[in-house]
Amino acid sequence: MSSKESCRNELRSAIRQLSNRCLYSAAQWAAEQLVGIEQDPAKYTPTNTRFQRGSSSIRRRFRTNDITSTPVAGVSYVSTPVMEEDEVEDSDFYLLAKSYFDCREYRRAAHVLRDQTGRRSVFLRCYALYLAGEKRKEEEMIELEGPLGKSNAVNRELISLERELSTSWKNGTVDPFGLYLYGIVLKDKGNENLAHTVLVESVNSYPWNWNAWSELKSLCTSIDILNSLNLNNHWMKDYFLASAYQELRMHNESLTKYEYLQGTFSFSNYIQAQIAKAQYSLREFEQVEVIFEELLRNDPYRVDDMDMYSNVLYAKECFSALSYLAHRVFMTDKYRPESCCIIGNYYSLKGQHEKSVVYFRRALKLDKNYLSAWTLMGHEYVEMKNTPAAIDAYRRAVDINPRDYRAWYGLGQAYEMMHMPLYALHYFRKSVFLQPNDSRLWIAMAQCYETEQLHMLEEAIKCYRRAANCNDSEAIALNQLAKLHHALGRDEEAAFYYKKDLERMEAEEREGPNMVEALIFLATHCRAHGRFEEAEVYCTRLLDYTGPVSFTYLKNL
Amino acid sequence: MAGILKPPGAFAVTPHKVSVCILIQMYAPPAMMSVPFPFSSVAQHNRFGLYLFALTKSCDDIMEPKLDELINQLREIGDVLYQWLTDQLISRLSSLSSPDDLFNLFSDLRAILGGADLSAVDDEQVVLDPNSNLGMFVRRCLLAFNLLCFEGVCHLLTSIGIYCKEALSSCSAYELPCLDDSSNELEALSEYENMDLENIVFEKVNKEIEARKKASEEVSFHLHAPKALFGLVEDIKVSAVSKSQGGDKCREASPSAHAPNDAMREFDSISGAFLRTNWQMQGYLMEQADAIEKHGSSFSLNAFELILRQLQKLAPELHRVHFLRYLNSLYHDDYFAALENLHRYFDYSAGTEGFDFAQPSIGCNSFGRYEIALLCLGMMHFHFGHPKQALDVLTEAVCLSQQHSNDTCLAYTLAAISNLLSEIGISTTTGILGSSYSPITSIGTTLSVQQQLFVLLKESFRRAESLKLKRLVAANHLAMAKFDLTHVQRPLLSFGPKTAMRLRTCPTNVCKELRLASHLISDFVSESSTMTTDGAFSTSWLKNLQKPMGSLVLTQENVSGKDSNAFQFCAQPSSIPGSVLQLVGSSYLLRATAWEAYGSAPLTRVNTLIYATCFSDGSSLSDVALAHMKLIQHLAVFKGYKEAFSALKIAEEKFLSVSKSRILLLKLQLLHERSLHRGHLKLAQKVCDELGVMASSVTGVDMDLKTEASLRHARTLLAANQFSEAAAVAHSLFCMCYKFNLQVENASVLLLLAEIHKKSGNAVLGIPYALASLSFCQLLNLDLLKASATLTLAELWLSFGPNHAKMASNLIQQALPLILGHGGLELRARAFIAEAKCLLSDPSFSVSQNPEAVLDPLRQASEELQVLEYHELAAEAFYLIAIVSDKLGRLAEREEAAALFKEHVLALENENRQDEVDPLPSTP
Repeated sequence: MSSKESCRNELRSAIRQLSNRCLYSAAQWAAEQLVGIEQDPAKYTPTNTRFQRGSSSIRRRFRTNDITSTPVAGVSYVSTPVMEEDEVEDSDFYLLAKSYFDCREYRRAAHVLRDQTGRRSVFLRCYALYLAGEKRKEEEMIELEGPLGKSNAVNRELISLERELSTSWKNGTVDPFGLYLYGIVLKDKGNENLAHTVLVESVNSYPWNWNAWSELKSLCTSIDILNSLNLNNHWMKDYFLASAYQELRMHNESLTKYEYLQGTFSFSNYIQAQIAKAQYSLREFEQVEVIFEELLRNDPYRVDDMDMYSNVLYAKECFSALSYLAHRVFMTDKYRPESCCIIGNYYSLKGQHEKSVVYFRRALKLDKNYLSAWTLMGHEYVEMKNTPAAIDAYRRAVDINPRDYRAWYGLGQAYEMMHMPLYALHYFRKSVFLQPNDSRLWIAMAQCYETEQLHMLEEAIKCYRRAANCNDSEAIALNQLAKLHHALGRDEEAAFYYKKDLERMEAEEREGPNMVEALIFLATHCRAHGRFEEAEVYCTRLLDYTGPVSFTYLKNL
Repeated sequence: MAGILKPPGAFAVTPHKVSVCILIQMYAPPAMMSVPFPFSSVAQHNRFGLYLFALTKSCDDIMEPKLDELINQLREIGDVLYQWLTDQLISRLSSLSSPDDLFNLFSDLRAILGGADLSAVDDEQVVLDPNSNLGMFVRRCLLAFNLLCFEGVCHLLTSIGIYCKEALSSCSAYELPCLDDSSNELEALSEYENMDLENIVFEKVNKEIEARKKASEEVSFHLHAPKALFGLVEDIKVSAVSKSQGGDKCREASPSAHAPNDAMREFDSISGAFLRTNWQMQGYLMEQADAIEKHGSSFSLNAFELILRQLQKLAPELHRVHFLRYLNSLYHDDYFAALENLHRYFDYSAGTEGFDFAQPSIGCNSFGRYEIALLCLGMMHFHFGHPKQALDVLTEAVCLSQQHSNDTCLAYTLAAISNLLSEIGISTTTGILGSSYSPITSIGTTLSVQQQLFVLLKESFRRAESLKLKRLVAANHLAMAKFDLTHVQRPLLSFGPKTAMRLRTCPTNVCKELRLASHLISDFVSESSTMTTDGAFSTSWLKNLQKPMGSLVLTQENVSGKDSNAFQFCAQPSSIPGSVLQLVGSSYLLRATAWEAYGSAPLTRVNTLIYATCFSDGSSLSDVALAHMKLIQHLAVFKGYKEAFSALKIAEEKFLSVSKSRILLLKLQLLHERSLHRGHLKLAQKVCDELGVMASSVTGVDMDLKTEASLRHARTLLAANQFSEAAAVAHSLFCMCYKFNLQVENASVLLLLAEIHKKSGNAVLGIPYALASLSFCQLLNLDLLKASATLTLAELWLSFGPNHAKMASNLIQQALPLILGHGGLELRARAFIAEAKCLLSDPSFSVSQNPEAVLDPLRQASEELQVLEYHELAAEAFYLIAIVSDKLGRLAEREEAAALFKEHVLALENENRQDEVDPLPSTP
């Protein structure tokens, strides 16, 4: 990787260029990364680095392997020369247009720039037109909503923009920003292949525009597409790959990338949040919580990604922390889908499902394609025993993203609740297909097979076996396997699984009825097979639990 | 239901509706006398009114017509008026330039509606009744307009502008967007490429089908399957070619290249495309659903899918679309798409949208109606030939309907289960219906499949009757008839006092059930017409606009010299729903089948003919194909192969597109019969193999086909004199039939076994089989089969020698009336020959005294066998004639018979030699 100093310089000029072109979110992202680069303590006073140091100690607690210092072998980074601004002096018209743009008066901005030929002005004009079209589209979407929910509003500027940009692309007069704009126009028009090409060209010639990378990421729907992209080796590519891997559910690969990036950008909030996201998908809630606590300490008004934190708090049933978080985001910006979602989560945890639904609905009103809100709302409806509504909500989530295994699982559960196990199996199968390493899904499927209606025990056993093989955290599978084998009269298998279950319970220092059950079975089993010594061991252990039962057993021996 | 989108409202004002409103205003201008200004007669005025009515009702498309389409239709309803009406319409539409104009238009519109108190109005004045169809339409428009917010009014104004502009510059307007595209052809290329290609490929495929149709006239019958494969390959080539062509066209990007695809681009353009009303769309979808069901796989998959996709994009909350997509993929055998769409439909609609038998009055409780989902899923598995899964799912449906006390669904589910049990061979239901909760097992688990089926049928019938589900009652009658046809009823309980049961099937029961099923039609005649027929009427009327009508009501002024088709407008589609017609039709088809089994050829033919002539419009193509198949089979048996094959050619053209076609099966059957008769065994074997392929379980198990295939296999082996192999095949077939309770087939398999032993010269072994077959026939009332078994028995006795000739002769005399009345050519010939043989071997009979008693049947037999080209038996008949003539000293006759004998023997040898030389002979 290039040196920290060069990264810093690149980012600094990039931020300037991006904000000159009113690409604010990209500029914001770049600035975050800039501050995320570890400062050289020699140059700065302790006040500047104080909290950085304090926070890094927390982070290091969780760093398992220190790979940050090892560069990836065999990768040589190209250094893209920082682009020089072609218009050194800002024209007056540009200044006026930019100020209009900043006041969100896009059409006025575009109008002012109508005769300007500088590349920056041209881009700004096009971009302003694009945004004006988008704004009008959003409005029309609500105005034109037909009786059956039709929403065929489109951005009316797309056609003219596309014409202009494609001509200048062919003439070679378009700059990387223009290419980015051309890319999103193409994507909106559904011409994804060309959009790929154009966006790749854009990021290869100007890698610091994170917006372009994100658009490219959203086009990479499979690993094959990702691998086929012809990208220069810039350090921004690592950011891109990390987030693309995450999107493709390759969480471990993504984590490795992020941890590698942390070598340079050790204080980047963005990277931390992304690591938290990956850990969340890997169900490492403890780590996620620590990361988010740190994030909030550094950046207390952050709303991005906080819905995930609220999910973690929900799962850990931290009432007060969740309410605190909800209060905080509510005060910061109540009309963000994430905020609504957090409040919804809070009410759900409190058991007030009707209120929770209200907030999830609000989140969905703000963003119709907000996947997790649909799923969470489905969960709420399930709690409220309104299964048709739950099914509808889950189905919408699935239609937005057919790879959302939670929603498939939710659908399965809803149908199972309605005593339709056979119908539910279809959905469980889908969810298991997407997430084959999740023991909960396998257990749900097994329970479906086990129901009185189906009573397909062999299939249930197969599912439990899969669940046991993929690290069943709640330790249901082993016990169930033993029970089922016992019920089917296969005592050897049953003994095998009881023993395994026993070992596991010992390892995890858990006790309870399962322990007693396992011991009793094993004792009887051993006695029946004449292995009295073993039986005696089990009976003696039984003594610890229930006096009379074990006593009779011991006596019988 | 759970969606956060607003609940579907019914109606939105669109430019098209505005123009209809304007037209209505012209139809009934306020304060005008009985026939308002431009109309010259009452008839003309009425015709215009009818046109407006049709405009608001028809459901032929999902999109509202554009202005130029509307103008074209106006032109068709009247030459004189056309100019005035269009001018008025266009001028009024284009005068709308500000929101205020719209407000004024709608407030004027209010004036044409009569008040609630119609009696106060002058008789002569034209007033729109607010409760009439048109009145309601106007009122709904008014209401919808009043509900519009200012933005909505602005949008309406803009879209009216676009609507007018498109029509006025109809030619140039279409060129504009094309020119746009030409400047960025890359986009055009990729965006429209797929659609263009699909379209072109369709056309190509259609042409292909036609071409193939023509080609098939010269193609030999036998090679059908490989030809089809070859045709498939050609298809692929063709589409590849057209791909490059399409690409070229796009690259040229000339406006004309896009011309045929205007329909496609219309969908994409944002302006000017408005959906029709919810009611009209539902009607359209229902019509399409009927069409899919009727035409099966000949319905174009992709074209309709494209429309559905558009519809889904424009109306995401119209969940019915998913169901149509399910149907579409179901009938095109796309399992995964069907499954996916079915689940999606029920997830969204909870089974409460669009099922007419789910009466809303019983209430959409908060649970939804997911039992219907299970019912549909079960039927889907059934359709794809997964009986086990289907049964599992249907059992769950039974359980759920009981829980939600949805008796209607329960009745349908039980009917579906019994249908499944009767159609698909399941040897045993233990382990399938064995779980504790099902209603079936409460009777006891020892019931056989047949008994379970019987109980289910009764149960479903009882429920259907008490719920007054007329169609289901009729369907149950039919199922019951089917059951009675092939099953002997036994007492359900194996203990307790046994009533004396006649162990026979009951033809009277069958007859009774069939009659009851047909009563359905009279039930429906009195009912008011349903929504679809109403809409369909409007649609068909709109489609036939150009035909002027001088009908009874509207004669006076008959428009110029065209043929007046008086009943075009009066010929409403009948008020009987298609499903009823279908049911009644299938009762006739079942009648034909029943008579076929009982052995009355004329009645079979009559019933099939009734079906083919009266019910073929309303029923699905595959049923019509079945009827044709029966008729052609009849021809083959009674008139010989020549006529059958020429009829087959016609049928083939008609049903070319039906997949899983019975026509192919029929062709194979006919070919097999003929090659067996001609002694062309290699070909017979080949046909047999193809039948075996058809019966393989790739497309689901069809027990009938399976038994048919192995029966024919055994017969081929028998014809090749491989007796032990034939017997082995027949044996295993018998075991299978026994396992799956196929009693009727059992009878014919037993008869075949008897034949095998007869031909192998083992008459002693054959007799028990023949007797067993006889008793089966008696049990099931299979009269014709019984006659043929009797004949075989007689032949067996005859082969024991002259001592048993008397016995054999008696048997033949017994069977002869039925054989002469109903038997086919082969059976009759066999009977004649056997009769002659009996006489000849009877020591008390002397030929010279009564020569005609022998010669006459023999001559008859020889004639019939010549028609059939049954060389072997024909040779035998001529041989006998020659011998007898020789005895009688009739030399000329002897020579003639001997020559014919030689001819047939040579033909037979020739066929056999051909087998050796040419493995793939071309058949005429």
